[in-house]
Amino acid sequence: MENSTNLRPVADIDLSQFATAPNTQRPVLISPDQVELDDAEVMASVGVHVKGEDRSGTYILRDFHPLYAQARTDGLELLPIADALKEYDWLRERYYWRAVPADLDRYTAQCASAPEPQGYFIRVRKGTKVPFPVQACLYIARSDIAQTVHNVVILEEDAELHLITGCATRTDVSSAAHLGVSEHYVGRSASLTSSMVHSWGPEVEVRPRSGTIVEAGGTFVSNYVSLRPARSIQSNPRTWLNGENASAKYLTIILGSQGSTIDTGGDVYLNGENSSAELAHRAVCTGGRIYQRGLLVGNAPGCRAHVDCAGMILDAGEDGFIEAVPGLRSLHPEARMSHEASIGKIAPEQVAYLQSRGMEEREAVSLIIRGFLDADIEGLSPELDARIAEIAELAGHGER
Amino acid sequence: MTNILEIKDLCVEVEGQEILHDLDLVIADGEVHALLGPNGSGKTTLMMAIVGYPEYETTKGRILFNGDDIIELDITERARLGIGVSQQRPPTIAGVKLQQVLDYAVANAPQRAQEIDELVSTFQMEPFLERDINAGLSGGEIKRSELFQLLATRPRFVMMDEPDSGVDLEAMNVIGEMTNELLARNHAIRPTERRAGLIITHTGHILDYVHADRAHVMLDGYIGCSGNPRIILDQIRKYGYQECVRCELRRHRR
Ligand SMILES: Nc1ncnc2c1ncn2[C@@H]1O[C@H](COP(=O)(O)OP(=O)(O)OP(=O)(O)O)[C@@H](O)[C@H]1O
Ligand SMILES: [Mg+2]
Repeated sequence: MENSTNLRPVADIDLSQFATAPNTQRPVLISPDQVELDDAEVMASVGVHVKGEDRSGTYILRDFHPLYAQARTDGLELLPIADALKEYDWLRERYYWRAVPADLDRYTAQCASAPEPQGYFIRVRKGTKVPFPVQACLYIARSDIAQTVHNVVILEEDAELHLITGCATRTDVSSAAHLGVSEHYVGRSASLTSSMVHSWGPEVEVRPRSGTIVEAGGTFVSNYVSLRPARSIQSNPRTWLNGENASAKYLTIILGSQGSTIDTGGDVYLNGENSSAELAHRAVCTGGRIYQRGLLVGNAPGCRAHVDCAGMILDAGEDGFIEAVPGLRSLHPEARMSHEASIGKIAPEQVAYLQSRGMEEREAVSLIIRGFLDADIEGLSPELDARIAEIAELAGHGER
Repeated sequence: MTNILEIKDLCVEVEGQEILHDLDLVIADGEVHALLGPNGSGKTTLMMAIVGYPEYETTKGRILFNGDDIIELDITERARLGIGVSQQRPPTIAGVKLQQVLDYAVANAPQRAQEIDELVSTFQMEPFLERDINAGLSGGEIKRSELFQLLATRPRFVMMDEPDSGVDLEAMNVIGEMTNELLARNHAIRPTERRAGLIITHTGHILDYVHADRAHVMLDGYIGCSGNPRIILDQIRKYGYQECVRCELRRHRR
């Protein structure tokens, strides 16, 4: 175990080692039943079901090419971002690179330099409540590529959307890079729930960059679940609660493994009167390094903010750890801000208690981890449960 | 009749310290025994050792359940043989609902689904189903929740650690009913359907509801005396445990 307190958490990626998008793009839109079965299974493991049942729209990007983009409900638009940019001039003027600056860092710069941007454009018209989740899959099927993605989601006034974005590598891909920009615009009294599930190969490098602007009365809920972590993930989504009563809620669930470094945060700027933000981190460490961060900046009367980091260490091995760094910055005397953090192992008396009700040790551990994560995310339960069962299996064999 | 539980020369250590010393205890199948004894005498320790908690380490002796030695079995295996326990101080488990424990019971005994549903309404457990296990429950509510989980699994042998402590009169009626249900004392005409049990009590209130066949007094890690529950309880009420200790000493001197 290293004793240095200033570990450099996540190293920069050497982008030159990865192939980037070719200059000429082939349009390869296909129908969902043409997706190969192996690929479809991986997609399902991150919440994207290619048949699209119980989904109001589907977008699938494989490597550098969109396979499919379709909206199935009135008031919802879902297009490859390149098409949307051609169609709507205002997109570039008012939204594109406005919530995430192109020059934020080398990864956003890399995205900006792609010959043709890939990613999805979603717009939900005023007052439209999209009945089922919209799903998007950002999928890497080739080793050693750097996939760049730029997504823009716009919810007009009173609109409602649950977006599930699944990101994964094909089972035989171990090394790749994923650089993803996501910009979300949540209009007045609109409500966006974004659930993102990652399941990466062991040597993949991941740098999501996202920005969200929420207007008065708007709600942004972000659920992030990392099921199978990459070699490194570093992300610090930023949210501006600009309107009165705007709110944001982040739930970040990291299931770590050996050899990975995962650094996730979340900055929320509470600029609107009575705006509120809640940031919850949950991590189960079975090896690897996990950093839980977050910075809530209170800057308006009546705003409320709370950060809560909780970590569970299970068989973390020699150098596995969780470091929790919940942050608060109050710029206004009437901002109410609080944080809490706790890291511990699974309580043996809880496991024993459930065993005394007849459960196997691994069943008890699963139930306790599930309870600890306290994640009730629509449309994701089976995938999460399957992964928790695997972790519990590991933990059951180890020493507690 | 066979013995459901037979404990011989049992020594149990907690954190390297011996708490139970050469303890003997026999409970015949279908019988209910009461376990009395002063604070710290080792009653809970005995129960946890029978359940199989790893921190209660058996260093000597045997525990036979229905004739088989269970010392090598883990908690799950013992529970599945039919050893059930309602704990004095059960842990709270954040995020795990009582309903999930019931679901587990039903998954393993689907034929009992309807019965469990009925038990929920009979004992008015609805408000507790979606609450985290033992989280924020009052003392009396914890007892109910513990007994209810036992009802859901109907163990062959039921151990209860102070089901009557800190329970008000009205709640005591419910606890009494639950216990009778659990031990199948209400409607089991045939003695073979009766469940065996071991009940730890200080007040003896639970014995107003459940007939105990025998009582034991634990003193400093062993069974000091055994006999008729009413008589023993009366003696303790009149003279306290001091008298038990003296009686023990007299016996040893002879
Ligand atoms: N985990 C533990 N660590 C250290 N000592 C323990 C532990 N558990 C029990 N003991 C000790 O063992 C002795 C017996 O405790 P036990 O809980 O079995 O008593 P009890 O008869 O159930 O008492 P009460 O009537 O107060 O519930 C006590 O002295 C107690 O402090
Ligand atoms: Mg006790």
